[in-house]
Amino acid sequence: MASNLIASVAPVTRRVRAYFAPVDRAAGQATIFDASGISGFNPDAPPSPWVDLGWCAHFARKSGTKVAALNAGAPGIAVGQVRSEVEAQVSLEFESWGKLQLALSAGVQQMNVLRVQAGAAANGSGGVAMAAVPLTPGSTITSATALDVGTTAAAGFVVGDVVAVDVDYIGQTGYVGSGVSGGYVKSVATMGSDVDYIRRITLNVGRVTAIAGGVLMLGSALLAGIPATGMKVSRVVGFCDREGGSYFQEWSALFVLDGAQGDRVTFHYPRLQAMSGAAESREALVGKPTAPGELARLRLAGSFRALPVRDAMDGEMVVCFRSYLPGMMRTV
Amino acid sequence: MLSVQLAKDTFYATLRDRVAAGNAARTVVLRGVVRPGVVVTENEFPGAAVDGISPSDVFCLRWTSLVADTQGAMPLLTLGCEIRYATDGTSGTSGLDRGRMLAAMDAELIAAVSMVPQRAGSLLVTEAAAGGTSTIVTTGTNVFWGDISLKPATMKNERMERTAEIEVFCYGQ
Repeated sequence: MASNLIASVAPVTRRVRAYFAPVDRAAGQATIFDASGISGFNPDAPPSPWVDLGWCAHFARKSGTKVAALNAGAPGIAVGQVRSEVEAQVSLEFESWGKLQLALSAGVQQMNVLRVQAGAAANGSGGVAMAAVPLTPGSTITSATALDVGTTAAAGFVVGDVVAVDVDYIGQTGYVGSGVSGGYVKSVATMGSDVDYIRRITLNVGRVTAIAGGVLMLGSALLAGIPATGMKVSRVVGFCDREGGSYFQEWSALFVLDGAQGDRVTFHYPRLQAMSGAAESREALVGKPTAPGELARLRLAGSFRALPVRDAMDGEMVVCFRSYLPGMMRTV
Repeated sequence: MLSVQLAKDTFYATLRDRVAAGNAARTVVLRGVVRPGVVVTENEFPGAAVDGISPSDVFCLRWTSLVADTQGAMPLLTLGCEIRYATDGTSGTSGLDRGRMLAAMDAELIAAVSMVPQRAGSLLVTEAAAGGTSTIVTTGTNVFWGDISLKPATMKNERMERTAEIEVFCYGQ
């Protein structure tokens, strides 16, 4: 009986799309993408907690795993092999500039530049900030996309504002930042007295798209979800990162490549840390030369080192999961 | 080779449907039938005025090249497709809006071709005898295409024209 299967071919893909999920740094717990979800994963509406980072250019994986021969006899002859070192690296360029892309590619604390008080002394990452606005206690309106600050405080915001939502710094140590750790405080002694420090390094930011009845409506959900008690809202004028910062951002990454024949390849790195400082690549616009002075597009370039997790299935320590979903009715 | 026609028919049907979805008012009357404003030159009568751009405000497809890569498990076919379109503008403005009309066609074409996914399940169309109904079945493979390349707009008297090129791919069976 003749087979009605179609010969499988090498995947033909256009672009790579990246997704972010937080790593619980304090607990050392990465977000794991279950490979069984490969077929149901909707690239346009990723399931929580995955966040779309957009398209990537120049995506490249590099395995640094070393395999050595086990020799025996005289003269020595290879009778087996052993993996002496496991390492993997990823490099890419983000097509979009956003808070997360900036933070991940920079690899260090990604600062929210808060609106400063009048007369504040100049500081590279932003001077003393205007007082943050508390959320209305007990409000049932406040959610991941709505911030009830009351009508009086709301008058201090305008549609289009970027806001950072997080708790005051009151001497916490260790990983700080709600939803996703944005920094690490080694000791209280090393810190200044900036009550806004956590709102400066938090990744829990959003854009105000409407204001009504004392409620700031956000264009997308906050990474930390519904704001916790004690969180306050600061206006953000921009973002800033520093070459030489001590912190290492870490994230769970999922890269999805959809093939032209309905096939799909995913690369899941449960733990990625930046292995280079902030850098950009300069790319000419279509049809334009790359000569100095010509219009060019700046892409956020990042290189990452994969860190291991233990596969609960068999206890193996691994750094990456590659999954492949063949197209329908292809030979396997 | 069967797959060549399969790729042509699939890309045409996909482009036709996407253009119609984007602008239902872009239509053309051919052989007395109102159709979405996408025609394939080689599918019309040789003497019909669809040499590429004779009908205005319509996308005219012409298949120009074919390359077969037979190294893989299935041969990969690459078809060159040229899409020509032109506009005289509207009579109500004495054609002064022809630039806007061409810009609208540019936008419709780019949107239709660039819409994700840039692929479609390939369709096997069997021609029926005159007056009959063609049959269409899906084959299980996909036709896919690259990015569109737009050539500079040109003027012919009061008519504005543009040619776009795109490569369409499919696997032979």
